[in-house]
Amino acid sequence: MTISSYTERAGSRTDETDGLSVPWSRPRTKRAGVSARMVSVATILAVLALWTLSARLQLVSPVFLPSPLAVWNKFVAVAQNGFVDATLAQHAVASLGRVFAALAAAILVGVPVGLAIGISTIGRGIFDPLLEFLRPIPPLAYLPLVVIWFGIGEPSKILVIAIAMLAPVALSTASGVRGVSQERINAARSLGATRAQVIRHVILPSALPSILTGLRIALGAGWSTLVAAELVAATRGLGFMIQSAAQFLVTDVVVMGILVIAAIAFVLEFIIRRIERLLVPWAGRE
Amino acid sequence: MPHLVLDKISIHYDGQPAPAVERVSIAVDRSDFVVLVGRSGCGKTSLLNVAAGLVAPARGTASIDGREITGPGSDRAVVFQNDALFPWLTARENVAFALRLRGVAPSERARRADRLLDLVKLGDAGDKRVWELSGGMRQRVGLARALAAEPQFLLLDEPLGALDALTRERMQTTLLDLWTASQAGVLMVTHGIEEALVLATRIVVLAPGPGRVVRSFEPGFSRRYAAGEPIRAIKADPAFAVARGDLTDAIFEGEAA
Repeated sequence: MTISSYTERAGSRTDETDGLSVPWSRPRTKRAGVSARMVSVATILAVLALWTLSARLQLVSPVFLPSPLAVWNKFVAVAQNGFVDATLAQHAVASLGRVFAALAAAILVGVPVGLAIGISTIGRGIFDPLLEFLRPIPPLAYLPLVVIWFGIGEPSKILVIAIAMLAPVALSTASGVRGVSQERINAARSLGATRAQVIRHVILPSALPSILTGLRIALGAGWSTLVAAELVAATRGLGFMIQSAAQFLVTDVVVMGILVIAAIAFVLEFIIRRIERLLVPWAGRE
Repeated sequence: MPHLVLDKISIHYDGQPAPAVERVSIAVDRSDFVVLVGRSGCGKTSLLNVAAGLVAPARGTASIDGREITGPGSDRAVVFQNDALFPWLTARENVAFALRLRGVAPSERARRADRLLDLVKLGDAGDKRVWELSGGMRQRVGLARALAAEPQFLLLDEPLGALDALTRERMQTTLLDLWTASQAGVLMVTHGIEEALVLATRIVVLAPGPGRVVRSFEPGFSRRYAAGEPIRAIKADPAFAVARGDLTDAIFEGEAA
């Protein structure tokens, strides 16, 4: 290719992409003072305003949509006096306990399974199809089976959540293991590392950023399975609280429960990101 | 005297019609600094990997002291172009890695790692995280880590290839100092002609298609450095320029223009 034909192409490329925000377009000065975060805050405020307005004007019956103030009052009331025999904190602790028990189980099973998939062909042959089968099934679909097999006790609830968490943990671990640089492994082997030592001292730490990402996704998946898990003979838990409230059409508790679930998910995400930064400060710097 | 011997090595990669290397023999003594040079595709890195035990030859044998090489081992520490350091460890812990694998006590391995860090002039970087170090510093940590295994041979795969030109200059003398201090034989692959001349006791020139030895030089400049002559004086010697011309000719000999 000649130099002149190259410059021609470069010129035409600029023309074609003018006005698109693709990487090679001209850098543009940011519009003064507007950030994505400010827009987000404005959006949330607008939704709240619309909600207040429609409640105030009685556009929708309070049975369907209680006002924000009513929801807030309910939050305070349930936090202090409880709802269906437990305070809000007790419901939240019951739910969090289940989710973290499930997370522990998912780590205990998922990380070794992910390692097996990433390291050995046989492991991949065994576990890959099983996980691919399990991954797309919605929790409500396997819930009845879990109940038939394991009864209506606490283990069933934890199991339902753990199943939802297993695939993200195992698949993230596997992809982290497969991404370990061959040079790093070779360096360790030439320093005298056995196969077990390579796994323990090189592969696992190398895969740690990916494993933690898997845990974050799993926590999200597990938390969103909560309501399904607490459908069965629960006496406590945020999901249980929402369902009982729905049966009596106590809509303000339903909405409050949803908001609490969302808030806790937000806090969990924040915490695990902090943990990531603490445990794998090298991630993204290589 | 232990010998690293590659004897009539042929390397054939799966799915390739022709062998990458054919009947190459190279012997490295523990007092040697052997440098493999040659155009791309001459199989120099493949040969290094055979010595490291990471690639099995199709024919021929690689051995140390007559013991056949069947896999990687800490008697031959490898340093790669990308340092392959472990980012979750500090510089000191990286250097001590081989000792940790052997179950050396923590205080003892910290002591030995610090001594090696001193040797590569990183005495006060022991607590640094790997990503806080510059490319040259990382490569020096990599060298110290390889030496911690107390290898009989150091296998260096373009160890200075990823560094900027100035750092590379400085690292040349570091490599020579380490070679003298560690008493390990060195087998190194490089693209740098001047680098090869400065460092090698013997330069083996390979040609591609399939990889084979075409020339062998004994430039002798590294022995002069070891005897105390400053590196600048050596490079300014007219004999150095002549040797560079000869080596360049040998590398590009027979290449289609």
